[in-house]
Amino acid sequence: MSARIDQTATGFDFGLAKRNASLEASGVKAPNATKTGTTIVGLIFKDGLVLGADTRATAGSIVADKNCEKIHYIAPNMYCCGAGTAADTEYTTNMISSQMALHNMSTGRESRVVTAMTLLKQYLFRYQGHISAALVLGGYDVTGPHLYTIYPHGSTDKLPYVTMGSGSLAAMSVFESRWRPDMERQEAIDMVKDAIEAGIFNDLGSGSNVDVCVIEKGKVDYLRNYAKPNERVQKEQSYKFARGTTAVIKTSIRDLVTVTEDTAMDITA
Amino acid sequence: MFLTRSDYDRGVNTFSPEGRLFQVEYAIEAIKLGSTAIGIETSEGVVLAVEKRVTSSLLVADSIEKILEIDTHLGCAMSGLTADSRTLIDHARVEAQNHHFTYNERIPVESVTQAVCDLALRFGEGAEGEKSIMSRPFGVALLIAGCDERGPQLYHTDPSGTYVRYKAKAIGAGSEGAQTELQEEYFQTMTLNDGFKLALKVLKQVMEEKLNVSNIQVAAVTSQDGYHILSEEKLQSIVEQL
Amino acid sequence: MDMLATNPAVHPTSTAKQAAFSPYADHGGTNLAIAGADYCILASDTRQSSGYNINTRFAPKTFKLSDKSVLATAGCQPDCNMVVTRVKHSMKGYKYTHNKEMSTPAIAQMLSIMLYQKRFFPYYDFNILGGLDEEGKGCVFCYDAVGSYERVPCNAYGSASALIQPFLDNQVRNKNQQGKEKVTEFDPVARLSIDEAMRIVKDAFTSATERDIYTGDFLQIFIVTSAGVEEQLHPLKRD
Repeated sequence: MSARIDQTATGFDFGLAKRNASLEASGVKAPNATKTGTTIVGLIFKDGLVLGADTRATAGSIVADKNCEKIHYIAPNMYCCGAGTAADTEYTTNMISSQMALHNMSTGRESRVVTAMTLLKQYLFRYQGHISAALVLGGYDVTGPHLYTIYPHGSTDKLPYVTMGSGSLAAMSVFESRWRPDMERQEAIDMVKDAIEAGIFNDLGSGSNVDVCVIEKGKVDYLRNYAKPNERVQKEQSYKFARGTTAVIKTSIRDLVTVTEDTAMDITA
Repeated sequence: MFLTRSDYDRGVNTFSPEGRLFQVEYAIEAIKLGSTAIGIETSEGVVLAVEKRVTSSLLVADSIEKILEIDTHLGCAMSGLTADSRTLIDHARVEAQNHHFTYNERIPVESVTQAVCDLALRFGEGAEGEKSIMSRPFGVALLIAGCDERGPQLYHTDPSGTYVRYKAKAIGAGSEGAQTELQEEYFQTMTLNDGFKLALKVLKQVMEEKLNVSNIQVAAVTSQDGYHILSEEKLQSIVEQL
Repeated sequence: MDMLATNPAVHPTSTAKQAAFSPYADHGGTNLAIAGADYCILASDTRQSSGYNINTRFAPKTFKLSDKSVLATAGCQPDCNMVVTRVKHSMKGYKYTHNKEMSTPAIAQMLSIMLYQKRFFPYYDFNILGGLDEEGKGCVFCYDAVGSYERVPCNAYGSASALIQPFLDNQVRNKNQQGKEKVTEFDPVARLSIDEAMRIVKDAFTSATERDIYTGDFLQIFIVTSAGVEEQLHPLKRD
């Protein structure tokens, strides 16, 4: 009886975690998750904010997706960039997006960025960092533009320019040297593009193209593949195989029905 | 004549005032007491021929070995204190095998010759007082025959550690007369068979005993067959051609 | 209470830690070699990385040893460098003692021994030795870290080897292609022309760069023929 009480003393059941640890110790490999070793950024400019992301998804040292989407929809006035385990960022932002939609319908007001931020941090904190989602949340609500970073353990920052993911240092070097308050829209977009490209070229976890999302009052511009600095060169030759290249090892044809010879049906009449 | 040297010919590594190492010179003299050995280089291969001194009818001639294999592509004839040659030939064999192990190729003839000569001056005390292998110079000269990518080659080494390449060379007791004969008879376009015939012809002239198949030993090294000792039948056919 | 504070085994903040000696690092990068009838091509990217960082975009890891031999190395950069230095050193010594240049098969055997001598503290280095043999035929020798080696028609090593090797097996050795002649290590028939091989090399690297994060920046190609070693440099994607 006392053992039963001990187990639930924290209010959580870690039985499955213990089972997994014991399975791993006995040699069972946990399945590999696709990670977005990523560069994601956001900055605030005069009339709103700009989010940016690269498009590489990796599985270990292999590029799993060369053009994935890392800027997720949360609400009409709000988007969220995700870094970490692809499934975690996808699921987390989808779920919060649903909750924001419901919240929007029940209150009849436009969603506020702080609401989404709070829901996200509470959700991530509950899982104690086991949900690998590092997020950059940005939106424009009734109180103006807001930009947050949310860490996998549930902590948040509210800053005028932010970076996340494995390419965050490369990207931040661009912002730290060039960001200033009240920039023009195009200047902001260019700077986000440059920050993402710094990640693309200097961080092996990031690569391929630049996605940009500009959020202003009552207006969102999702610029998918805003820059494509890594187009593949044409291959030297075609690798079409001649017909018959694949060896046929065995051929077996079976009749599904047996046709027996009989007098033909009279169909003249 | 020898009396004047007595002060300097004891130490094996002491120069005389005239700049000579008497012990090394004496070692070279020792070779002139040995049986005659002849080597001839032809475009088809190298011939080695030695006389065996069958001093008694009770002596088993086959037990005298004066031509030895170093590697499949290398042979060696000797004259002088043949017991000393064991150290040299063992060393040459090890070097040849080491080379094959390290580089997966046959050791060049010149390299194995150099390796043998490296041993020649390792007598007396070492410079740092370390123990040396021998107390005196080797009393043996070698004719090293082999074939590598540079073709058939014949080298002569002596107790001073010097080696020279020869087209034809004789060592041992009959070497002076034999060398003169080789000088006269050698020609550039010799075949291997010409080489056999010349070697035996010269040997026949300088040997005290009458030459026959059991008191000589002949070997050849060719690119195709490598090192091989000639059979008695083969010897007989050459002797008959003389 | 007193016990708890003084006994380090019980103290919650002072747990014993095993100090680890880890002398190896993986610096990524990919090498490839194809042996033709009378030529040999070796190719490498030049990116050197540690984890998600690029140390440098141009760190050659393939080196000309002689007019007939080229050595490609992949693994831990200092180990690779040491192997190349030692091979060059030995080749110099060989030239002095034997008055000739070391042949590619001779280098192959020597390198094997060099690697095996460090059997219990190996060089973290995967080598491909390529060039022309004594008959002037193209040859490729590939090694594991402790000196086991084999003469092959083509080979890929390094971070993208798993991507490139099957491609070479199919396109160079004609594996799994019915009606095409199989290519073996010594047999020059059914071999590719230099131009065909170069196209395959370039496509192998541009494709590997697409999917392997450790491969990119520049492609260095060495073409060994009886005329000597020609070196080329081509750009690769830098992301």
